[in-house]
Amino acid sequence: MSSDTYARDARARFEAIVADLYTDMYRYAAWLCRDRSIAEEVVQEALLRAWRAFDSLRDDKAAKPWLLTIVRRENARYFERRRLETVDIDGLTGAQTAFLAAGDDDRLGDVREAIFGLHDDYREPLVLQVLLGHSTDEIAGLMGISAAAVLTRLHRARKKLIAQFANDED
Amino acid sequence: MHCEAFRQAVTADPAARTAEMVAHAAACPDCSAYQDELQGFDQKLRAALAIDVPPLSMPALPAGADVVPIPRRASWARAGWISLAASIGLVAVMVGNWRGSEPPAASLAEQVIAHLDHEPASLAVTDIPVSERRFNAVARPALVDVSRDIGLVTYASSCVINGKEVPHLVVQGESGPVTILLLPQEKITAAVPLRGTSIEGVILPVGNGSVAIIGNRGESIDRWRERVAATIHWTA
Repeated sequence: MSSDTYARDARARFEAIVADLYTDMYRYAAWLCRDRSIAEEVVQEALLRAWRAFDSLRDDKAAKPWLLTIVRRENARYFERRRLETVDIDGLTGAQTAFLAAGDDDRLGDVREAIFGLHDDYREPLVLQVLLGHSTDEIAGLMGISAAAVLTRLHRARKKLIAQFANDED
Repeated sequence: MHCEAFRQAVTADPAARTAEMVAHAAACPDCSAYQDELQGFDQKLRAALAIDVPPLSMPALPAGADVVPIPRRASWARAGWISLAASIGLVAVMVGNWRGSEPPAASLAEQVIAHLDHEPASLAVTDIPVSERRFNAVARPALVDVSRDIGLVTYASSCVINGKEVPHLVVQGESGPVTILLLPQEKITAAVPLRGTSIEGVILPVGNGSVAIIGNRGESIDRWRERVAATIHWTA
């Protein structure tokens, strides 16, 4: 195969995979960093990094965990480069307030804010399970922790959210 | 299964339906109702997590000519061809980029770090060792002697770093999986520290080559340096 044909085919394959998984990449990034504009930047960098390493993706079925891993690392690199502090729920910036916007649906906004306030260790596996449909083992692989630790964190995350809403309704 | 165990399992994963859980839910209306309630709660979570997504804006990808096909993982019977291809690739990169007798450490470090993105599945936390056969096929005795004292090896694969096929091992460490890349042809003169938000490691000079060690933050890399020095020796 000529290098031109190879590059053309690779680009078409890459674009098809990204079109399919972009929504997941963006939402994962957004819930990791809790800022929409930073998430866009992280995804852009992740796409470039993924493209540079694309030849190493041997099985398209593995594209989702592969891309999410790159997003995860790129998010970490972003915060390392910028030396940003993690977000404090009590001191929301305008961008973070915009992140939580849920239109006229107050209840949805409340749930979103409660998830937003979870510690990173609890929020991330919840996003991976509930939103992105990953199994416990897949989450363990992505986060580099044991399956038992994933289950513990998910249990605690839901307990915290449930307790919060129980308190709100009191 | 008793109620407490059921509720713990369901709180961690409301969609879980093992045979034990199904049997318990069928016999315990309270627990069954609890699972239904949590599944309803998860629907609310899902709706809250599904934030609006801006349209995809694909970044300007490097032109096709800049994309270099990496040699595919191949059987050891094709090692001669791979060596030849790798040698050609290496010469091209050396002429094009650094024009020196050794690759610059920063470039090697970048490639090592980037390689972790390539194979996320390698970083599973598990207690299942790779088979002896696979281990020996990757860490070939003709190339390197790796004592099993290195630890629980849970992943072994032949990978391409800097155009050369190298053994990629993952050993379970104290803070999670530790990646060990054996780089017999990458000679460096001093250790290159690797440090990120979530990882830390080092590329160690070992004889005429080097060994990259990368673990999660918190892993004792000094201990791994000692262990690598004691358990890995080039044989070629």
